[in-house]
Amino acid sequence: MSSVLANIPKTAPFSEEDVALLNRVVGPASAVQRAWLAGFLAGVESATGQQAQLAAPARPAEPLTIVYASESGNSEKLAGDIAKAARNSGLKPTIIDMADLELRALTSAKRLVVIAATWGEGEPPARAMRAYNELMGEGAPRLDGVEFGVLALGDTAYAEFCAIGKKIDERLAALGGKRVVDRVDCDLDFAEPAARWIGDAMKVLTPPNAGGRVIEVDFGAKPAASPNTDIVEAEIIEHVDLNSSRSDKETIHLALSFEGGAPAYEPGDSLDLYPENDPAYVDELLKLTRLADDDKLRADFIKLRDVTTLSLKTVETYADKTGHQYVKALIADGQAREWIAGRQLIDLIANFPIALDAETLRALTRPLAPRAYSIASSRREVEDEAHLLISAVRYESHGRARKGVASNYVAEQLKRGGRVRVKLKPNKHFALPSLDKDIIMVGPGTGVAPFRAFVQERRATEATGKSWLFFGDRTFTHDFLYQLDWQDALKDGALTRMDVAFSRDTPEKIYIQHKLWNRRADLVEWLDGGAYFYVCGDAKAMAKDVRAALVRAYADVKALSPEAAEQAVVTLEREKRYLQDTY
Amino acid sequence: MTDELSRNERIKEASDYLRGTLADGLREEITGAIIEDDAQLVKFHGMYLQDDRDLRPERMRKKMEKAFAFMIRVRIPGGVLTPRQWLALDQVARDYGSGSMRLTTRQTIQLHGVIKSNLKATLKAIDAVVLNSIAACGDINRNVMCNVLPEQSRAHAAAIELARSISDHLLPHTPAYREIWLDGERIAGGEEEVVEPIYGKTYLPRKFKVVVAVPPSNDVDVFAHDLGFVAISDKSDNIDGWDITVGGGMGMTHGEPDTYPRAAEAMGFCQTADVLKVAEAIVTVQRDWGDRKNRKHARLKYTIEDRGLDAFRAEVERRSGVGLAPAKPYTFTSTGDRYGWTEGQDTGGHLTLFVQNGRVRDVPGAAQQSALRAIAQMHEGEFRITPNQNLVIANVPTGQQAEIERIARDAGLLAPCSGLRRNSMACVALPTCGLALAESERYLPELLDALDERLAAHGLSADEIVIRMTGCPNGCARPYLAEIGLVGKGPGRYNLYLGAAFDGSRMNKLYAEDLDHAGIIAALDPLFAAYAAGRQKGERFGDYAIRAGHIAASGNGADFHANVRAYKPK
Repeated sequence: MSSVLANIPKTAPFSEEDVALLNRVVGPASAVQRAWLAGFLAGVESATGQQAQLAAPARPAEPLTIVYASESGNSEKLAGDIAKAARNSGLKPTIIDMADLELRALTSAKRLVVIAATWGEGEPPARAMRAYNELMGEGAPRLDGVEFGVLALGDTAYAEFCAIGKKIDERLAALGGKRVVDRVDCDLDFAEPAARWIGDAMKVLTPPNAGGRVIEVDFGAKPAASPNTDIVEAEIIEHVDLNSSRSDKETIHLALSFEGGAPAYEPGDSLDLYPENDPAYVDELLKLTRLADDDKLRADFIKLRDVTTLSLKTVETYADKTGHQYVKALIADGQAREWIAGRQLIDLIANFPIALDAETLRALTRPLAPRAYSIASSRREVEDEAHLLISAVRYESHGRARKGVASNYVAEQLKRGGRVRVKLKPNKHFALPSLDKDIIMVGPGTGVAPFRAFVQERRATEATGKSWLFFGDRTFTHDFLYQLDWQDALKDGALTRMDVAFSRDTPEKIYIQHKLWNRRADLVEWLDGGAYFYVCGDAKAMAKDVRAALVRAYADVKALSPEAAEQAVVTLEREKRYLQDTY
Repeated sequence: MTDELSRNERIKEASDYLRGTLADGLREEITGAIIEDDAQLVKFHGMYLQDDRDLRPERMRKKMEKAFAFMIRVRIPGGVLTPRQWLALDQVARDYGSGSMRLTTRQTIQLHGVIKSNLKATLKAIDAVVLNSIAACGDINRNVMCNVLPEQSRAHAAAIELARSISDHLLPHTPAYREIWLDGERIAGGEEEVVEPIYGKTYLPRKFKVVVAVPPSNDVDVFAHDLGFVAISDKSDNIDGWDITVGGGMGMTHGEPDTYPRAAEAMGFCQTADVLKVAEAIVTVQRDWGDRKNRKHARLKYTIEDRGLDAFRAEVERRSGVGLAPAKPYTFTSTGDRYGWTEGQDTGGHLTLFVQNGRVRDVPGAAQQSALRAIAQMHEGEFRITPNQNLVIANVPTGQQAEIERIARDAGLLAPCSGLRRNSMACVALPTCGLALAESERYLPELLDALDERLAAHGLSADEIVIRMTGCPNGCARPYLAEIGLVGKGPGRYNLYLGAAFDGSRMNKLYAEDLDHAGIIAALDPLFAAYAAGRQKGERFGDYAIRAGHIAASGNGADFHANVRAYKPK
């Protein structure tokens, strides 16, 4: 470990104790660490104005550009990890959110790492959409000679697994980039493969002589303020279905209380909630596999493993491990992808039964991931509490009643007085602007959750900006979530305006985008006045419909061509005044 | 009593002829309610702001306001609709209301559960078939009733014509309804313009109800209403003119003996040509003489009790310029409906259907709403809503009779039932009516099941006995004119009234208080037994109860509360 050469000699102008102390640190330091220390000490001198003779001139570290396309924050977090590893390797990292990416900047990048998440059915994260389209488009610049590597994040539960990472990887090569690290596609349990990929990438990307130099140290750099994001246990102090007993829906208002204070969340942040599986489902699964007596397996399956998701990978594993003829045929015929749609692991086992041991069955599962829910409260109003709004997902497919794991854990398993494990998941991309700015909030269904936090925060901070909420659901009478809260907010001024759309109250369905259209003149006026536009909720249809409605609103109100109207909304996005948190 | 005008009087005065701030209230999307003053005014437009009382306990916890919705009562003089109008109301009930419709005890249709944001669309759809809800509620002349008269087509034609002309004559003139609900232009009147020549700015002190009857049928319950016109016919069924009855009314308040139901009395006789003049004079006298300080003492019945019939008649004669002849004799036989087919005099057959408590809906095994829709789609005659919440398919040509009967029979609209059930009525009550103290429409069928069993035991299943239930003492189902009247006192508790006349000419009297389900049966069962054993030939249950000394006969006015001998449940 220690290097004799690096030992501080006893002749050094330090006390014996200090020499020993320094030797403990410097002795085992790597070449890069020593180079950094050299740069640091040189910098200290120049910062204090004292001249000192440098052992060697400080050279700028080699740059590394890290681009991430993030929806849930995982890619963003990995970008931070890579930056840290890069600094340790003597590189100077620059992190760019793909939302802010100007493609021109890439042409001068020497080294490029892209971490790309794939969202929903093979789509880029909403914020990355513009830059992604530009990259894929004809106008993308050549990237000749840029060394790059792509780390792809995805979810095998979706058909187009890691599609965006794959496409970016291909595109960078097609534009002349030099792939120096092979892409790795990560599933929900990305931590380990991602760490391995980062290690490999650093080996390749670090210049051979990174050590033995003096590294320039940026004294202005501040460590990112990181609130406590440990898993904490909360007590459930309120558990109410906000839909009327006549509603088809069940939306739980969950008030959590934290001993010693709630995690330091801000309006717009989420909580990761650690769910458990429905014991009835697990029991049925274990009965089918004749493993009902395995108590350990049952406990793990309820608490730790994702036992519902059925991915192509699961089907392949099943075929490999069991050699089931029909399943093999399903894969060979290319039918498997279609077959898994709307099905769960239990369907695979029920439809293609075969003797399974516990380890084989376990191999078909993955770790049970937490589910993020937008926080529906402001600490300035509820102090040690955090509120969540969770809609129980229930549907039928292929003749079987299905339940969303996390939402039904909340709706059916959790009770007032019980406890639940959560972890703060900050979302700085969905934060409130300064107090004098106007805000427009579009949040149908549970999408309204962060806006309850916004309105509470704005009340507590006595914001001067106006606020306008668009809410929608099925029926006015039975599905108007937090109705009394909004009435109070309109009375006390925390909310300036509110429009509602209820789709099942009339023969022709009215959705939130119709209300936006009806109010287009005022909307455009607010936006021209600098208002921020927030959208939260369903990513599949609603978010797109809302955006399209806003484009049409611009076109109509300002008599713009469709292209110019689109550009007006793109401008809002670039100015970060069109913000989305969709799921 | 205070000298101050009642609050409603000030609301009317300030309302700018029933406009209030209704138009603004409709734009307020975040609440399903309207402000309190507007909730009083909206009644004049035929609507009540209600809430689903079944849901009240959970709403606060769920961070929701009460489950507000409006009841819309359509104005249908004489209860006569075209099949196209029926279909339109059926459609709006399913598009915007709770799905079902309710045939009321005053020959209209009520739609429940229409939320505020759908009111305009609903009223526009109703307007499209030349119907409206103007003055279906409120302190004003409401829907004018008229016998359905399935067997007397010619008399019906004359009676319905009179009912419609009275209805038209007493309509408010304010354009507020068209402005607010149908997006009509605001019509600005000059300062001097008389907007409401009959009513004035504050309309009437209280609701006002008019009926037209042709003896011997008293299905409209002439004596229950403020004003009645009873046809006096010659031997060949030509109408000579009309007897005038005044001062009937059902409402009272529990525990306040100054309030009482009252049977109308005869005031005189007039020619057909003078009916409108007389009706208008009666309305204006009540407008000026009626009590505007105490709403519980504001109906015409109290005006007549306080001023005396002679003084009232003299003032009506003075204002109308019509000298009233003495009332002429006539005979009523019953207040009930004639079920099944009756032949009209020249207009085809009429089929009277039994619609339990007027509730038109589809339930498993009895798709009555769908059946009536199917009939309306093929039928070219009339739909007539009876004052007993039933329905007459009128003027059916011979060729269609078998098919219409088949559809009705399949849906249980012609199902045989006991004489008691055939003569039953119940108001809507819970969960929508804000006044209800107890269940009514939802409970009466269950009570009738139990009573039917007792009647069968005494061999009385076929006997016609009038039973009516209301959820509160305001009396929408006219319980005080029923041989068995049940009036809600509290959850699951009813006051029992006995001794009314079968033909609707005599009020009943309190027999027992605060009875629960078992208590009602225990009180009535021995009376049924005694009636079966001790009645004289053709003697009605109400008459028997008085003759046998179970109850004293009620006279008019405060006598309703006199001579009550409390029955003690065992």
